[in-house]
Order: sequence, then structure tokens, then C-alpha cells
Amino acid sequence: MTTRTATLIAAALLGSAAPAGAADPFHEVAEKANQKLVKLFGAGGFSRLNNFGTGILISREGHVLTVASQLLDTSELVAHLYDGQRLKGQVVATEPELDAAVVKLKKADGGALDLGDDGFFNFAEAAKRPPAQTGDWVLALTNTFEIALRDEPLSLQRGVVMAYTKLAGRRGVFDFPYTGDVYVVDAITNNPGAAGGALLNRKGELLGVVGREIKNTLSDTWMNYAIPVTAKVDVKFREAVKDKDGKEQQVEKTVTVSMPEFVTLGMQGKYKPVIRGDKILSGEGGYHGLVFVPNILERTPAYVEDVPPGSPAAKAGFRQDDLVSFVDGEPVASINAFHAWLKKNTRPGQTVRVEVRRGEALQTLELTLGTHPPKPAPPQPDPKPKSP
Amino acid sequence: MTRPVPRLSHLAALVPALLAAAAVAAPVEVEQPVLDAQRQRIAAIKKVHPAVVAVCQPGGQGSGSGVLISPDGYALTNFHVVQATGPLPSCGLADGVLYDAVLVGLDKVGDVALIKLLPKEAGKPFPFVALGDSDKVRIGDWSLAMGNPFSLAMDFTPTVTYGVVSGTNRYQPPEGKGLLEYTDCIQIETSINPGNSGGPLFNMAGELIGINGRGSFEKRGRVNSGVGYAISINQIKNFLGHLRAGIDSDHATLGAAVGTLSDDAPVAQMVVRTVLDGSDAERRGLQEGDQLLRFAGRVVTSTNQYKNVLGIYPKDWRVPVAVRRKNEQVELLVRLMGNMATEKEPQPGAGPPPKKDPVPPPKKEVVPVPKKGGSPEAAKMYVTRKGYANWYFNELERDALLANLKKHGDFAPVAGTWSAEGEAEVGLRKTAFRFEVSGGKDDADPVVKLKLNVDQSLRPLVDTDARLQAEPVNSGGLMLALYQYHRLLTVGPKGFEGLCAHGGHEPFYPHPADGSAPKSLASLRTDCAVLKTKHGSAECKWYVSLKDHTLLGFETFVSKDEDPCEVYLADYRDAGDGRKLPHRIEVRHKDKRYGVLTVSKYTLGKK
Repeated sequence: MTTRTATLIAAALLGSAAPAGAADPFHEVAEKANQKLVKLFGAGGFSRLNNFGTGILISREGHVLTVASQLLDTSELVAHLYDGQRLKGQVVATEPELDAAVVKLKKADGGALDLGDDGFFNFAEAAKRPPAQTGDWVLALTNTFEIALRDEPLSLQRGVVMAYTKLAGRRGVFDFPYTGDVYVVDAITNNPGAAGGALLNRKGELLGVVGREIKNTLSDTWMNYAIPVTAKVDVKFREAVKDKDGKEQQVEKTVTVSMPEFVTLGMQGKYKPVIRGDKILSGEGGYHGLVFVPNILERTPAYVEDVPPGSPAAKAGFRQDDLVSFVDGEPVASINAFHAWLKKNTRPGQTVRVEVRRGEALQTLELTLGTHPPKPAPPQPDPKPKSP
Repeated sequence: MTRPVPRLSHLAALVPALLAAAAVAAPVEVEQPVLDAQRQRIAAIKKVHPAVVAVCQPGGQGSGSGVLISPDGYALTNFHVVQATGPLPSCGLADGVLYDAVLVGLDKVGDVALIKLLPKEAGKPFPFVALGDSDKVRIGDWSLAMGNPFSLAMDFTPTVTYGVVSGTNRYQPPEGKGLLEYTDCIQIETSINPGNSGGPLFNMAGELIGINGRGSFEKRGRVNSGVGYAISINQIKNFLGHLRAGIDSDHATLGAAVGTLSDDAPVAQMVVRTVLDGSDAERRGLQEGDQLLRFAGRVVTSTNQYKNVLGIYPKDWRVPVAVRRKNEQVELLVRLMGNMATEKEPQPGAGPPPKKDPVPPPKKEVVPVPKKGGSPEAAKMYVTRKGYANWYFNELERDALLANLKKHGDFAPVAGTWSAEGEAEVGLRKTAFRFEVSGGKDDADPVVKLKLNVDQSLRPLVDTDARLQAEPVNSGGLMLALYQYHRLLTVGPKGFEGLCAHGGHEPFYPHPADGSAPKSLASLRTDCAVLKTKHGSAECKWYVSLKDHTLLGFETFVSKDEDPCEVYLADYRDAGDGRKLPHRIEVRHKDKRYGVLTVSKYTLGKK
């Protein structure tokens, strides 16, 4: 590569990614984008759950993309448009895996809503654009701290993309439902009420949905992130299928959920979320090491047959013949239910409170779960498993 | 082991990075606008940097920030900063020198204080900044905040932070008992932290657009969380006359409760709910059910907007209020009431902890700081009086105002009986008039005689009945007003035993001289310095043009709860010996013109 071409390329790159915005007025970008956003008001208002948030208009007819928070758990969802109009909204689709929801706004008189050509973000177009790069300037428009009401404009912040990455590996650190890629930004965007706001590039094009307030439980620091419009998550779950003998078998399946598909189908009212009940949230859950009695019934009571020495259960003080009755306050009806609960709700390293019936008394034990041994021994009635 | 194929997006991310790396050796060409913006930023910072103040406790411990706005040392800061330093703060500048300072004026509701720094050598000018126009600030504009966060700079060099304006015309409700209400303020992402309080917010031209004062904090603790607020400089400009005059100023209420028609309505409408008995709003004819359209020229469609626009005015200001009643639009000139109910010191420990907190002064030392202190020189410039932050500065401003008035003529040598004659237009009739005022500083029984159609007279200090004092009928007390006018010009401040104080700045609305209907009330507005007096039972407000120091008119209140007699003075000409007096005197009362006196001749009696 000659020096000249290199210079040209460098100049071109600077033109696209360098902070030419130092001279840009962001005002017009903010003003235009503000017309495509709404303030949302719904459920909450107690114990630090905000009853306010932000939403992104994604159709001429008034579809709104926002975060799938408790805010939406109400029949009285209200949106304030940029011009001060107050409209009611109804959730038409949610996907917890994407932490996203689509809401449809409607006029009080039932008439059709028409936001015009400039009144919404074309989501399909946005999803076609390549993601922003680390170091790119971004703008956030949100109703942070519920500062804006009615026709007051949303709050503008500016920053750079610090990383485009997954937070999945940090799930023990962040209490966070979404496992796909996120934009991590250096502006303090994720404040109360900001979730559901827009992350934009300097031209005002939609890059992502500003996320919740999340805190790193190890360092006590707060993370500012947005879920990209191109977000994609692989969801693993188990499904019961009948084999050729007509016997039910649990089969592990993977489904990819993507934001563009969710938005498209969600707006058409056709989206079906992944069934979470059978979903494997965190592999096999935490490992306890208990050996139960033979699991011969649909609802075999969770009697402990053996406690291998050195296992997490042994450390917690389980004994033979204990009946596991409650785990973290949830009644345990059977061995299956106990395992299902652990799979769904736990991961290695987590401590759960287990109540066991021992003789006539209930004993409370603190069980710190471990990682599964390479080949977890299935519960065997006999012979007694060897100690590891 | 297989490696997953990198996703396309990751590849895309990689390619420019590689190219950029390859291009490192080449000279980097930066776009001209970027360089220009950088130059502008550096120039702006350089220009204003020396005028940024570290407002400290007497003795020098850090507390907050401020900014110089005049060469003679006047500086703006927050009320909550001087609350911590007391009336005699020490102030550090970027030159590393600690100056003595004294509190001048307060706006507790607006969280603003004016202080004055004392130069080390008499008359040596301070660096200062120009005031910008905060109404021109737009969302997305760049801004610079400066100050002394966390008391970092031991040599007082200000810390500079840079960011965009997140919102304009923001409303942040008061804290504690109605104090520290941020109306029409500027929301910034520009980082402000404890210690930045009272410091300046600049636009990129280095003009002062606001005073940084508080932020929204919640889970992340009391440090910048991305949302800070600056008091807009245009609000402060409305109070600057009050602040310079050492007044403990108050914000305003309309005298009527205004609310949204319905929270559920598709579009918000502001309507008058109740009108307070005895308020000026009631006397101006504001009615329950009126739809509020514009307040002081600004469209009002939400509670926040209404609070914003109301919150930027001092009490007693008259502002045009446009309402819709049935299908008619009506414009009223309403005199705003004080916000007295809220003008109370916050009681320590009272009330729940506020959600939105002022940026607190950093707590570095637990040692109790003496409230008094400062230099003896500064202490001489601090005089307490009820209703005033510092009476010393009120006298200073008042005397300057009176000295300017005197330039139009010294009337002390002609303090005897005055008479004037000419033609009057009262109602639709034209008639000859004559008035005569006697008096003097120690005259216990002066007399005012007025001949319009019939002969009338008033002995202002003897006829204390309000009905007599309000004569002639429908004038609101013209004879009493003429007596007060004579006294102001001939006796001066010594003639007002009740009060003679500078009243800050207020708008004044003289009607067109030809008697035509004004285009709008706003078009009449003339900004004036106000002198407030009390003599006998009558209070007066005198309006002196800020432009040329002419006395444009005055109001005489026979009683506090009644409309005053408004006197508008124009056509100043020589009345003998170079003394200039108005030859057109328009008298208005209750939104109506009572009459116009066209003076053909004054006779000023010698002492």
C-alpha cells in the first residue's frame, strides 16, 4: 500500500468515524429523533421500580419498541408524544430473551393513528446497517429521571461506543436477562426512566435500545449499555418428543431469536415468544451431589438416599433420609421438581436455602452449589456411588 | 477443536482497524471543522478561565464555585454555597490569589447569590465574563462547565468539563420549604460534581449561559450521574437589579391557581382553577375557567411550562397574561404576588430527604467553620436589615440612582410651593387645569389643590381617610401622588421616613402618547430601576429608565390592597433654570386612562 492510498483511506476513515461532530450541531438530529420517541408511563412507583420509561416509535401506526420491564404490566399504559399528545398503549408482543416489547398506541376515539413519514424509525432499515464500531460517537435520547412530560423534549446525551460485546459471561456479576451483544457506552445513559430510549449515531439513525440500570455486583459500578437493533440470541430449551416407540424423550433444541424478526412479527401480532418454562437458563444448574431415592414415580418425594462425602450437599450438612421440602421458600413436590427448579434458577457458585424434614423437625441448610463433574452421575438406586 | 467463524460484523470491525493501523505512519489529516472547533474551544476556555471563582469559607477551605461578571468584582454563585460560607466568604481566582469578598444579594428560591470581591489594590479591575442569552441555548449545543469540584485545585485553577446540553426549559421542583426551585433551567450532561455549585456554564463563545447548581442523583450516589442543572442566565438577569441592590429577593405567584384541564385529555390545556381574593389577578379580571394561553409572551400548555415561566420573575413584576374566555382572547397586565409562604428558611431535619439534591459542598473537614470572619474591610460592607441580604449595597445603589435623577435638575433650591397649569383631557372632555403643591421636609400640614372641573384639595398628612386620599374619583389618588412627587424632587430620600430603598429592576409599561391602543402590552415594556418609598401612609414606586435615567413614572398606593394611581411622565422640557420637568402627565387607574395633563407652565417656588 502506498503512502498516498494509506493517507486517503485514513482521511476517509476519519471522515466517518472521527469526532467531526465537534463542529456538528446535534440540535437538529436531536429534534428530529425526539419526534420519533415517546415517554411511557405504566406500572411501578414503589420500591425503586420506576413507573416511567421511554419508547421508540417504529411504525406509522404507532408501534413502540421498548424494554420488557414491569412498567408494561398494566392495562393503563400511557404514552406522551413529542407534541404533548397523550395516548394509551397496549403490549402486543414481548420477548424476555431480547428484553424487548412492542406496544401499540391507540387514539382515545379508536381512530387510526398516522404519525407521518418522519414520525417513526424505520426499524428494518436500521437493522440492515452495520453495527457501530468501538470509538464511534453515539447519542442517547431518553426520559432519564422522568424529566420530560407531555411535549417537553427528551434528554440528550453523547458518548462513544466503548465496546460491542456480550455480557453473557458475566451473568453472575450482572443480574441480567439478555445474553446477546450490547453496545457499552461511556455516557451515563442508563438511569431511572431511560430504559427503552434510543441509542443513535451522529446522523440520528437508530443503533439500539437503551437498557436497564445494571450494577456489577463485584465492583459496585454501574454499566451503561444498549441492545443493538440487530440483536440475536440463541435460546436452548428442552422439548418432549416421542421417539419411534412412542416414548417421550427430552430433546435439547436451540432457537435463535432476533430483534428484527421479533419487531416484524410483533408488529403483525404474530410473534410467539420462546417458552421459558422449559428453557435452560444456565446449563444444568448448580451441582448439589445429593443422591435421591429411586425416581420411579411421576412425583417421587425427594428423599435423600446418600450424601457423597466432599460434595456440596455434604458440606451443607445433608444427611441420609432427609426429605427436601423447600428450596428458597418454594415447596419441593418431587425429585423432578427439585431438579427443574435448580436448572431454571441456579448456577454454580450460588447458595440456596434448603429446608429438609429430618425426623419430626424442619432443618434449614445453606447449600452452596458447585459445578457438575464432567460426567454427572445419574441418581442410582444402587450400588452406592463412589466418593469422588 | 473447531473455532467458530467470526461473525460478519466482527470482520467489519476488524478491517478498518487494520487499515487504520497501516495508516499510522502517514500524516493524519484532520478535517478543518474539527480543528476550528478545537481552536474555538481553547480560545473560549482561555478567555473565561481567569474569571472563574473558587468560593471558600473564610480562611480558605473549599466550598463552591462562582464567576465574576463585572470588573469591579461582582460575582454570581449559588445561595446554597454562601449559606455554607456565611456573608464574608474568601474567593480564590485562577491567579492563585485569595480575595476577601462580601455577600451582596440573594435569591433563595432561585438558588442564586451575588457576592463582591475586593481587589488587592483599590480600583484594580477584575477579569470578568460577558452574559449570554440563555434563550438561544438549544439541546445538543456544546457547553463548558468550570469550577472547583471536590476542592481539587489548591491554587484555585478551575476544572473544565465539556459536554452537550441535554435539555432546555427544564423544571426541577423546590427542595425543603420552597427554596432552591430550578425553573426554566438548562439540563447538561457536562459533568458537575460537589464543589461545582455556583460555577459558570458557558457556551462555546465563552458567554455565561447559566450557573451550575444541582443534579439528579439516585442509586449512583451524589456525584455526576449524567444529569446536571444550571440556572439560566436569563432568569438571573431578571433578578440582577435586585441582587445588586442587596435585596433578599422573592419569586412570584400569579395570585391564581392554574392547572391542567384534565390529566387524561389528549392535549394538555391550562385553565385557571381559582383566583385568590384580593389578588391583583382578581382585580385585573382573571376568572375561574379562563384558559391560559400565554404568560409573559410564552405559550403555556403544561404545568411544567407554567411553573417555568412563572418561576423566572421576581415578585411585584407586572407581566402580560393572555387568556381565552369563551371565544375571546383577553390580555391582562397582572402584577405578580410574592411567594412569601415559601420564603422560609429550611428547618434542619424537617421533611423527607429531597430526591433531587443540590450539589453539596464537599465535606473535607469535620471542623466546624466559623460563619463570621473575613476581613475588617469586607465586614464594613456588610449591614443587615430585614428583607435585605445586605443593606449596605441597597444604599449604594439607591444613592447612585438618586444621583442620576438629580442630573435632570436639582430641585432642593426650589422646595417651596409648586404650581402648574395647562390643558387636561379627562374622559372625553377637555378642560383647563391647575394644580398647586405646598410642602417641605418639616411641613406638618402641606396642601394639594387641584382644579380640573371643580376645585378640590387634599391635606395629605391630615386627611388620612382612604376615600379622601383616593380623590379625584377614579384617579386612584392623583392629589396624593402629586404631593409625593413634589416631595421626592424637593426633599429627596430624607423626606421618606418610612422607607427609601432601591427596589431592583422592573418592567414599566407607558402607553402610547397619542392615546392609541398599544399593539401589545409586551411592546410597551421599558425596563426600569425602581425606587421604593414610604411617607405618611402612602407607598410609592418610582420607575427610572435604565437607558437614560429619566423618571418615566410612578405609582402611588393609597392602600396596599388597592390599585395605585399610576402616573406616566413624558415630554421632559426645561421648567426654568435648566431644571427639566415632564410636560405630559398621563394618569391611569385600574387599567383605564383617567386623564392626561398637558402642562404649559410650571411655577417652582423658592424655599
